Amino acid sequence: MLCCGLAASLLLFTCATAAARGPRYYRFGVLPLQSPTMLAGMFLPLTDALQHALHRPVEFVTAPNFASFMRRVRRHEYDIIYLNPLLYTRAHRWGYHVIVKVAGEPFTGILVVRRGSPIHALVPGRLPAGLRIGFPDPNAYAATIMTRQFMQARGIHVNRDMKVKYFGSQDSALMAVYYGMVDIAGTWPPSLRSMPRNVRHSLRVIAQTPPQPQMPIAVRDSMPAPEVRRIRRLLTHLTATADGREVLHHLGFSRGFVAARNSEYRGVKP
Amino acid sequence: MSAVELRSLPEHVDSARPPKPSLFRTLRFRLMLSVALVHAVLMGTFVWSEVGKQSQAIRADLYSRAHSLITLMAVASTNALLAEDLGSLAEVTQRVKRQPDVMEGAIIDVRGDVLASTDARQVGHRLRLPDAALARQGHGRLRLEEQIRVAGQRVGTVLLEMSTRHLQSELAATRDEGLLFILLALVVGSVAAWVLSLFITRNLHILMEAARRIGSGDLGVRVALPARDEVGLLGGAFNAMAESLQRISAQVQNEHEKRTDAERLACVGELSASIAHEIRNPLSAVINSVKLLDRSNLPAGDRAQAIAILNTESLRLQRILNDFLDFARIRESRLQEGDICGLVEEVAGLIRQHPQAAAVKVEVECDAHHSRARHDPDQLRQVVWNLMLNAIQAIPDRGELRVRVERAAGTVRVSITDNGSGIPDHLLDKIMRPFVTGRKQGTGLGLSIAQRILMQHGTVLSIVSHVNVGTEVSFDLEAT
Repeated sequence: MLCCGLAASLLLFTCATAAARGPRYYRFGVLPLQSPTMLAGMFLPLTDALQHALHRPVEFVTAPNFASFMRRVRRHEYDIIYLNPLLYTRAHRWGYHVIVKVAGEPFTGILVVRRGSPIHALVPGRLPAGLRIGFPDPNAYAATIMTRQFMQARGIHVNRDMKVKYFGSQDSALMAVYYGMVDIAGTWPPSLRSMPRNVRHSLRVIAQTPPQPQMPIAVRDSMPAPEVRRIRRLLTHLTATADGREVLHHLGFSRGFVAARNSEYRGVKP
Repeated sequence: MSAVELRSLPEHVDSARPPKPSLFRTLRFRLMLSVALVHAVLMGTFVWSEVGKQSQAIRADLYSRAHSLITLMAVASTNALLAEDLGSLAEVTQRVKRQPDVMEGAIIDVRGDVLASTDARQVGHRLRLPDAALARQGHGRLRLEEQIRVAGQRVGTVLLEMSTRHLQSELAATRDEGLLFILLALVVGSVAAWVLSLFITRNLHILMEAARRIGSGDLGVRVALPARDEVGLLGGAFNAMAESLQRISAQVQNEHEKRTDAERLACVGELSASIAHEIRNPLSAVINSVKLLDRSNLPAGDRAQAIAILNTESLRLQRILNDFLDFARIRESRLQEGDICGLVEEVAGLIRQHPQAAAVKVEVECDAHHSRARHDPDQLRQVVWNLMLNAIQAIPDRGELRVRVERAAGTVRVSITDNGSGIPDHLLDKIMRPFVTGRKQGTGLGLSIAQRILMQHGTVLSIVSHVNVGTEVSFDLEAT
């Protein structure tokens, strides 16, 4: 309640005094796939590059959880958003449209265990009883929804056969399996790659879902077309310059971004 | 010009008891003051240095706590700031608020908007902040700003204000404690110095008392100082000096008595010779006149002349004897306060009627309001009479006698001036002696009598004389 009140007052104030604050900030909202600090480390170089391209400050922000993030999306608190394909379909309904998507790597979910775990494959009836599985968030598309669909298709009823825990972010879910708090974690490849080397080497992928359309970057429909074009141009040409590649290195998207259309995400369903 | 001035030392010189110095001039006080001051300065320096260190430590503690707190605040709020998790940020600021001395804490995003604050009214407002982290102090508060940086970029700022009131009160308490210690050190140092000075100067006081007794004439006094230090050595030297003084004093006394006896005998002889000399001539004249009268054939004219000589010389003998008796029987003076002017005027009136003063103008200048002095009226009357009589007798024909009574520096000065023949130089040095006179008719006892009386008044005659010009005789009396 307190949190909502504070958020409302902050929004009201932001709107009321926006004109008096000089150059307006563009707010780049990133789905809380990982811890805020880790996301900041990944996306701050990108927002910095956007600032230079747009000649206006661009603020990196995320949210405590998926639900909060989507509430803010619905209230148009963000000008630019990075989110998963499933949530994008909702954002599209609320006034955003995709401009680019992550290039190259297929968008898949993965299931991860500790390297010494006895689980090597997801075979129904052979899994140990009382397995504990961790996910970032119920709305995490690749890590939760796609992996659940994957297991469901193989005859594994997650809610029935396992104890499910949600840890808020990809990092938390991966750290939970690393520390033995759960036996399996649902996540996606970029998050696994962003983990520290010792953690990454202590984990093992036991399954990967079929690919889906990649993670999109969308903008508000009300954003001026010239600025949308500048953003798209910047994002799709990051691989062409050393600075751009440095930005991509921080993001973990070595192949950069490619232009995307809304029609590519029509098939994405929960 | 010839002049002579005879002055005697005061009869009652109190050499036995020297004036007591004031407390601030005593060695004891100065010693105590020196030790106490040195003690206080040393203790003050030490205490002040310690107070300074403690104050620095207290300040450093507050700064350290403030820096730790703001750093912790920055770390604790980083994720919530990035996620704009206002609830978590509010919890951070509320927890910070519960820390001692915290006045205000705020978390501000990169745009400058306050996302959380201990003062809820500030949330949502924009603040203008400097780029660098700062620590500023003023108006009873310490203000710190810490940037929250991720991947080298500033994503927000934490602001913390801590009250320095507790710090100030602790500093004041430390300072007061320091001042108390300095005061205590001063008191303790003074007492210790006083005891030390007592110990050191005790023997000096014994020596001083012994010196005072020697000064008062008690040459038998000795000091017994057990100390083996310099004061002990001084005591030994003092005793040796007293021993020597006593021996020399006995010798001097002995010599003095011998010389006094000799002088007395000489004086008696000289006086006897003078008396014999003075009465020999008139007595010879009397004897010769009696022999002449014994002749039956002495003519009537010669007889009358012999009888006249007999009368004159016998009267002279009588006057000599009377003056001598006056000189020999001067009584002790009975000093009392009285008016000198009136006395001088009275004597001047008598002198004006004297046959030898017929051609002399006698003038008196007197300030009647400032002429009161201690004197014996009968004796002083005789002194003034003798001096005025001498003056008119020194005037051969017509002349002037001026008597002046004036006040000067605690005394009343009486001066008698004449324009007579003056005193020859060869007589000036011995004019006060008995039977020394420049006149054939004088007995030479008038000035001697006056001098003796004035010495009993604590003063002496002063004579300034010029031959054929005149003489001024003066003396001072204690004014009242």
